[in-house]
Amino acid sequence: MKTAMPEDVLAFGSSARRSLLRLGGIDLALRAEADRSLRGPVGVSLQALGAGDLDVRGDADQLLAAAELCRVSGGLALPWPVVEELLSVDGARLALVGSGSARVDHGDLDGEWLACDLDGQTFDIVMGEPGRAKLGPFLVPAQRIGGQMNRPSGDIARHLLLGSWRLLGGVQAALAQVVEHVGVRVQFGRPLSEFQSVRFAVADATVQVRGFEELAKFTVWRLMTASPERSLADALALRLHGARKAVQVFRTCHQLLGAVGFCDEHDVSVLDRHLQPLVRLPLAAEALAERLVQSVARGDLESLYA
Amino acid sequence: MDYELGAPADALRTRLRSLIREHVPEDFLGAFSNEPKDLDLTQAFCKVLADEGLLCLTWPQEYGGAGGSVWEQTVVREEMWAHHEPRGAQYMGVNWVGPALMRHGTDRQRAVHLPAIARGEVIWCQGFSEPEAGSDLASLRTRAVRVEDGWHISGQKVWTSYATMAQWCVLATCTDPEASTSQRLTLFLVPMDRAGVQVRPIPSMLGPHHLNEVFLDDVHVTESDVLGAVGGGWTVMRDALAYERVGIARYARCDALLARLRQALGDEWDQLPPGLRTRWVTALVDIRVARLLAYSAVADQADGIDPAAASLARIATVECDQSVAELLLEASGSTALDSGTDALVHGAVDDHWRYAQAASVSSGTIEVQRIIVARQVLGGKG
Repeated sequence: MKTAMPEDVLAFGSSARRSLLRLGGIDLALRAEADRSLRGPVGVSLQALGAGDLDVRGDADQLLAAAELCRVSGGLALPWPVVEELLSVDGARLALVGSGSARVDHGDLDGEWLACDLDGQTFDIVMGEPGRAKLGPFLVPAQRIGGQMNRPSGDIARHLLLGSWRLLGGVQAALAQVVEHVGVRVQFGRPLSEFQSVRFAVADATVQVRGFEELAKFTVWRLMTASPERSLADALALRLHGARKAVQVFRTCHQLLGAVGFCDEHDVSVLDRHLQPLVRLPLAAEALAERLVQSVARGDLESLYA
Repeated sequence: MDYELGAPADALRTRLRSLIREHVPEDFLGAFSNEPKDLDLTQAFCKVLADEGLLCLTWPQEYGGAGGSVWEQTVVREEMWAHHEPRGAQYMGVNWVGPALMRHGTDRQRAVHLPAIARGEVIWCQGFSEPEAGSDLASLRTRAVRVEDGWHISGQKVWTSYATMAQWCVLATCTDPEASTSQRLTLFLVPMDRAGVQVRPIPSMLGPHHLNEVFLDDVHVTESDVLGAVGGGWTVMRDALAYERVGIARYARCDALLARLRQALGDEWDQLPPGLRTRWVTALVDIRVARLLAYSAVADQADGIDPAAASLARIATVECDQSVAELLLEASGSTALDSGTDALVHGAVDDHWRYAQAASVSSGTIEVQRIIVARQVLGGKG
């Protein structure tokens, strides 16, 4: 049993973070809302980091490195479809879409796109006009064309997994901001961190984030060791957990930050808004749980006694 | 990363499950029962484990153990709790009285007590909590006053599990009320049949034997009954509790009960309200997370890295325990409140719900765990 992340993967993550921070950090994500062309250098930087060379389908170490890269990108709300590009098929970014109207994050970026749903049905897609939503500001409506069953479940599992790692990076970054804030923000003559209600709220959020992190690491390992059906159930479980915990952690963060946390100049506002697609799409928590019910009914979600 | 527990741990799990199938009936719900056969079963099962070298598996070999790994200890913790702790009251002796004796006991104390614990022949209870000292143990008031040939102890303990069946008690006392917190307490090893010790069971929703009061009226003890140093009780308690810092593997029983209830419901499971089934699978994920946090804490325990890891795991596990308790009751429908062996899964649903109510209070409240986590993340003391 080794539950710690390998040193070389952590070193890769640190190096990637330093490199991506030079693009402007979370502020880049905010500015890109107004000027979408600012996203261009992100893709170049990711290629320079070797993201395009990571074999996320065949190699356990490289999948873990990709997951770490996604975590780093989430912590910066990096305005780029990192997961979709890591899972590209013959050069086409792979978007994961739900049933009904499709939405693709950063779908307006140049390049080929392909979409698949949670059942593995693959579609060509035609992107519409980019939206201007506050939540998920880079979402683009897309129309699916055709549809054939040809995406292996491993791709669906990896999409859910890597997206969850990106979400993990976001909630970790948000909690870190809050920990710093309550240490310096003085109210009633003392730092917020000296109030027990604040301390308990931070403790509970820490449990949620650490639990999410441990599940994320475990799910990478499962994906490389379990059967495809069970890997998909594991990935669904991770995304379900991540979506639920992200909502709870961001709620705690906003409460402890007060009004400043809603302001776009604050990183938590940007993180929360920009990561909403991962919390809600291709399915939100309840719909993910309904799918997981089917997995459990088939016996695909392993536990000590099931 | 590797989440395999290892071949020895896997083999141990298989062996334990086999022994449980052979010796523990399906309707066994633990030693907290008024049925003498339940206590007899736990004592007999402990003998089986002792004969197999499994009762004190993780003790050092010099004390009758097998020097098992932390992962084998984890497997024992999971399998025992999932099957309603068939070691019964031995849990206390094996998991912390024994290790505390190894570290702080005298040669004579080790010679007298460790073999008896290793053979599963003696039941211990823990006399810590008092009416005025729960989470704040350092403020306990039971006094041990020095007399010519030892000490006289007077005071009252409360919530003392197993007190009605125990032969021995690790009793926390105040020997110097003027001393600092770290030096005012002393632990004594006291036979429960000694003059002046009186036990009164406290009826409760948890069931029999869980909660008792222990009255101490001029109980005479000698210098040889002191565990550790006089004034060193706080150190012994802290060290001893560190042996079981990850706490009870409550997630394992949650997992096992959901599996048993699902099997008992059969096709009816598919007819449960959709919202209840989504809660069910969400609970399965939460159980997995609690288990992983426990594993992370165990790994840290081996490496000595993160002092808050155990508290993180305990918070997740306790919340899991209580939410699963609600889920089990709701999924049981109109039979939810039935108890006894004729009830669904032999009354385990009702039993679990009642016991889960105490999960956030016993063995260190959830608030204490939050304090520890907050201290790690934010610094400070609160």
